[in-house]
Amino acid sequence: MQKQTLIMLAFIAASLVMSACGGAPAAQPTQPAAQPTQPAAQPTQPAAQPEGKLAQIRAAGKLIVGTSADYPPYESIDENGNFVGFDMDLIRAVGEKLGVEVEIRDMPFDSLIASLQEGKIDAVIAAMQATAEREEKVDFTIPYRMTKDAFIGAGNTTITLNKPEDAAGLTIGAQTGTVQEGWIQKNLVATGLTTADKVFSYERADQAALDLASGRIQLVLMDAEPALELAKQNGLKVLLITEATAEGGKSIAIPEGASDLKAELDRIIQQLIDDGTVTQLQDKHGLP
Amino acid sequence: MEFVQDLLTTFNFIVQGLWVTISVTAVALTTGVVIGIVLAIARVYGHPSLQVAVTVYSVVIRAVPVIVIIFILFFVISRYVNLSPFWAGALALGFASGAYQTEIFRGALQAVHPGQMIAARAIGMSRLQAIQSIVLPQAVRLALPAWGNEATLVLKDSTLVFAVGVPEILRRAQQVSARTFEPFLAFGVALLLYLALTLITIQALQWLERRYRLQM
Repeated sequence: MQKQTLIMLAFIAASLVMSACGGAPAAQPTQPAAQPTQPAAQPTQPAAQPEGKLAQIRAAGKLIVGTSADYPPYESIDENGNFVGFDMDLIRAVGEKLGVEVEIRDMPFDSLIASLQEGKIDAVIAAMQATAEREEKVDFTIPYRMTKDAFIGAGNTTITLNKPEDAAGLTIGAQTGTVQEGWIQKNLVATGLTTADKVFSYERADQAALDLASGRIQLVLMDAEPALELAKQNGLKVLLITEATAEGGKSIAIPEGASDLKAELDRIIQQLIDDGTVTQLQDKHGLP
Repeated sequence: MEFVQDLLTTFNFIVQGLWVTISVTAVALTTGVVIGIVLAIARVYGHPSLQVAVTVYSVVIRAVPVIVIIFILFFVISRYVNLSPFWAGALALGFASGAYQTEIFRGALQAVHPGQMIAARAIGMSRLQAIQSIVLPQAVRLALPAWGNEATLVLKDSTLVFAVGVPEILRRAQQVSARTFEPFLAFGVALLLYLALTLITIQALQWLERRYRLQM
């Protein structure tokens, strides 16, 4: 009777594993109970590790980087399960300069900062901007890629723009509450270059693009990356891509207070920008 | 033909998460069974203070969202005990499931007629012997239908472990969908995999129920 009970329990425990994959791993479920207690003896170890984050990374020979691999062309996973994209190529180039191996881990964007704070990962590269809220929790390197904006016009437009201010006097649309709308108000309207009635606010950028196509407005100012896609889909013309109207850029996040790591990464990023690696990678991934 | 090609590529990618989902679910259910049976026995036959402690565990854990338990294990507990994302996620699901399973097995233990315990003691068995040999074998059988329900719930809750970076079926579907911009195909494949796993689980448990039916 007792033996039968044990067999019953074993059955329940293994039923899912057995049913789904032929019983090979039936022994595995017994491991978990033992494993977590095993490393319990070494909680003091992390504290006793070498001075500074950079030294720790060098000692480990490995930079563990978190990303959220669902944002092509910055980061995604190809058919074979490899991490691909602009950010991924860039961080590997950084790892090469650091002289360490790069291990990339995929997690939800929301969990990245917490994982960095808890030391689960050494850095985050996820097309992330250094916002004030994030700066309170973690540190950021210098931007490796500035945010860019695009002026787009109708497909048959004859307008040419050499600098953002050339948009003066033309009817222009932007998404409500965006940096781009702010730039128009501050640099075109407040300076008297354009009258307020020539500026149109839209709830979404694609609505502005529709009005552009129908000829109701002459220009739209928006983020460059979606602008390229929008222009392609709707037969619109990209007139100017510029950093001048945008604010900030994308940076690598690192643990708060890791000043040695920040100094080294800043130096490497500057080097990669200067030697053209960043530009080359942008071209490779079709980024403006 | 191109659709079939896309479907195959998508399936081949997502199915790599199948093993992760199965492992997480198996670890969680096993942990849950151990916790559930032990705590249910303590709750029904234990010292009154032990009964209170079990009730507190069961109520508190069931009141907290599973995702919070996962975060606590991964971000807080693992400051002291080095847990990988997999173990943090799977064990958190197991602790959560343990609370539900405690209630399942408690109900089953209480459903066994008290006269059986008295009779077992009367023929000279100790309380532990009586639980082991008389009450528990019947209770486990009685618990099976409700337990099968819990098993399918844990299977679906296993999607939560991606919060700490364990790439199970659903995350793999998200990755494909982000790359190919074909969400229906990607999530359709995920749906079929979960459906298959659930059906197999249900079938296996129904077989167990028939095989070990009480002859009363």
